[in-house]
Amino acid sequence: MKRTLFFVALVLAATVASTGHTKQAEPKEINLFAWSEYVPQGVIDGFTAETGIHVNYETFASNEEMLAKLVSGAQKYDLLQPSEYTVEALIKEGRLYPVDWSKVPNFKNIGKEFKNLPHDPEQKYSVPWMAGSVGIVVNSEKVTDPVKGFNDVFQPKYSGRIVVLDDAREIVSWALATVGKGPNDVGPQSLEQVKPILTRWLPMVKVYDSDSPKTALLNGDVDLGVVWSGEAALLYVEDKKFQYVLPAEGAHQFLDSLVIPKDAPNPDGAMAFMNYILRPEISKLISADFPYTNPNLEARKLLSPKELANPASYPPGNPKLSGFLDIGDLAVPIDKLITDLKAKG
Amino acid sequence: MRQDLTSFDGGTALRQRPASAMAWLLMSPLFVWVLAFVVAPTLIMLVYSVCERGTLGGVVFRFTWANYAAVLDPTYLNILVRSVLFSMVTTLACLVMGYPVAFYIGRAPEARRNLLLMLVMIPFWTSFLIRTYAWVTILKSKGLLNSLLLQVGMISQPFEMLYTPGAVILGLVYTFLPFMILPIYTSVEKLDNALVEAAFDLGAGPLRAFSKVIVPMTSPGIAAGILLVFVPALGLYAVNDILGGGKVDMIGNIIENQFKGSARNWPFGAALGMTLVVAFAAALWYTGRRQNRAA
Repeated sequence: MKRTLFFVALVLAATVASTGHTKQAEPKEINLFAWSEYVPQGVIDGFTAETGIHVNYETFASNEEMLAKLVSGAQKYDLLQPSEYTVEALIKEGRLYPVDWSKVPNFKNIGKEFKNLPHDPEQKYSVPWMAGSVGIVVNSEKVTDPVKGFNDVFQPKYSGRIVVLDDAREIVSWALATVGKGPNDVGPQSLEQVKPILTRWLPMVKVYDSDSPKTALLNGDVDLGVVWSGEAALLYVEDKKFQYVLPAEGAHQFLDSLVIPKDAPNPDGAMAFMNYILRPEISKLISADFPYTNPNLEARKLLSPKELANPASYPPGNPKLSGFLDIGDLAVPIDKLITDLKAKG
Repeated sequence: MRQDLTSFDGGTALRQRPASAMAWLLMSPLFVWVLAFVVAPTLIMLVYSVCERGTLGGVVFRFTWANYAAVLDPTYLNILVRSVLFSMVTTLACLVMGYPVAFYIGRAPEARRNLLLMLVMIPFWTSFLIRTYAWVTILKSKGLLNSLLLQVGMISQPFEMLYTPGAVILGLVYTFLPFMILPIYTSVEKLDNALVEAAFDLGAGPLRAFSKVIVPMTSPGIAAGILLVFVPALGLYAVNDILGGGKVDMIGNIIENQFKGSARNWPFGAALGMTLVVAFAAALWYTGRRQNRAA
C-alpha cells in the first residue's frame, strides 16, 4: 500500500510539474507560417534586432498543408504566406484580418500590376511577397531543337527525359493552355477535352517532383522540365545551359502574399513585419537568396544587372500569364483524373 | 487425470488472481497511451470518413457514404492492389535476406553478436530521408553504381535504375530489413541447440531439421518481422516519391495527397485510411484464428 501511495504521489507530481511548464504568453513575438526556403534568416534576424519582436518561423511545403494546420486551430499564427488562389479561398471564408495600410506605408513600393488582382480585388488583405511562373526548362546541350511551348516538350522523342511538377492542377492547366483555355476553365467539359492530351503526355514523364524538380535535371537524369521559375533561376545560376522558356500557349503566374489570419494574437507585429520586408533594401536580400520575380519595384532598382538578366526571374517580352483562382470542389475530379492517368501510364 | 493437470497449472492460478491496484496503476500509462494515440485517432478518422469535404480542408459534419463509394472505384482499388503487391515483394525479399543474417548473428559468440547487432542498428543513427537520398546519388544515371559498372566494362551505356519500380523495391527493402532481422534474431537467440541436435540424432537431414524444427521454433520472430515490414511498407510513400519519381502512386501517396495535395479532400483520405485499418484487422484476426486452430 505504501508503495502504491508513493506511485500516486509520483504521478501527481509529474502532472503538476507538466502543467507548471505551460508557455507564458510572450507579448513581443509573431508566429510566421511560410513556405520552406522562402524567408532568409538574415531578414528575420534584422527584423528582431530592430523591433525586438521575436519571429517563430514555421514552414510548410504546400498551400494545402498550411490550410490543414490553420483549420486544425492547434496553433495561432500572425502571418501566413499563401498563393493567390488560397488567399482567395481564405477571403471567401472570412478567415483574414484586413490590413491597416496606414501601418504599412511601404506598400507603395509594390508595382501596380501586382495590386488589385482577382484574388484580392480590393487589396484589403494581402501584401505580395514574390511572384513567379511555371515554365519550361531545357538542357540546351542535350535538346537542340527549339522548344517554345508544351507541345514541343511532350513529344515521343523526349519520352522518359521529362520532369514535371507533381501537382494535378498544374498539369491540367498546361493541357488546357494548348487548347486555348485558361487555367481556371476546369469544368467537366474542359476536363473531357484535355483527357486525350494528358493520356498522351503522362506516359512520357520520367519524374514527378514538386519539391525539388531541379535535382533530376542537375543529375542529368532528364533533359526537359516543366517547373517553378525559381527552380529554373537556380539552375541557370548553376549552369547557363539550362534555358527557361515561358510556354507560348500561356503560363501560370503565381503570386505568394503575406496575410494575417483573423484570430492572429499580434496583428500589429504582423503589420510591422509586412512593412519591414517591403523596404527596398530588405526586399533586395530576399531576391538575392530566392531569385523569383520581385513585385517590389523599388527593390528591383537595387538588383544587379546580372540578377535582372536572369530570364527565369524576369522573363523578357510580353508573356501570356494568368493566375489561379479558387476552384472549390472541382479540385476533386482533377485529382482523380491525374491519379487515373498516372496509374495507367 | 486431466483435472489434476489443470489444478497444477500455475498459469491458470495466476490468471484467476485479481489484479492489484498497483498493477492497474502500472498499466495506466499504457492504457492512456493506447486511448490517446490509437483509439481516439481511429475514432476521429472513422467520423471524418463519413463526412463531407470542407472547402479549406477539414470536414463538414454531414453524413455521407460517398467517400466509401469512391474507395471502391477501380482507379483506387487497382492502386491498393498494387501497393499490397509491392509490400509483399518487399516483405518476401526482407525475409529471404534477413533470416540468414539474423540466424548468423543469433548463433554467433556473445562478444561478436553485440558487434553485429550494432552494425544492423547503425544506419538508424542517420535520418531515413537522408539515407534514401543517398540512394539517389548511387543510382542516378551518372551515379556511383553506373560509373563503377562503366569503368569495369560491364555495361557500355548508363543503366536506367533511378525512377523505376525496382528502385522503389530496393529502397523499401533497404529501409525495412532491420525490422525483419531484429525480431527473428530474438527468436534464434532463444532457440535451444539441444533440439536441433536431437533432430540430427533422430536422422533428420539439414533441410528437414531446418524446416521441421528451426523454422517452427523461430516462427514468432518470423511472424513479428513480417508484420513489422509489411504494414509500414504499405503506407510509406516517401521512398516512392524519391526513388520512384512519383510516377506510379502508392496508396500512401493517394492518402497524403488528400490532406497535403491539391485535392484537399480529408473525408476521402480518411475513408481510404479506414479501409486499410479494417483490411489489416481482418487479416490479423484471420491469421490469429488459424494459428489458434493449429495449436
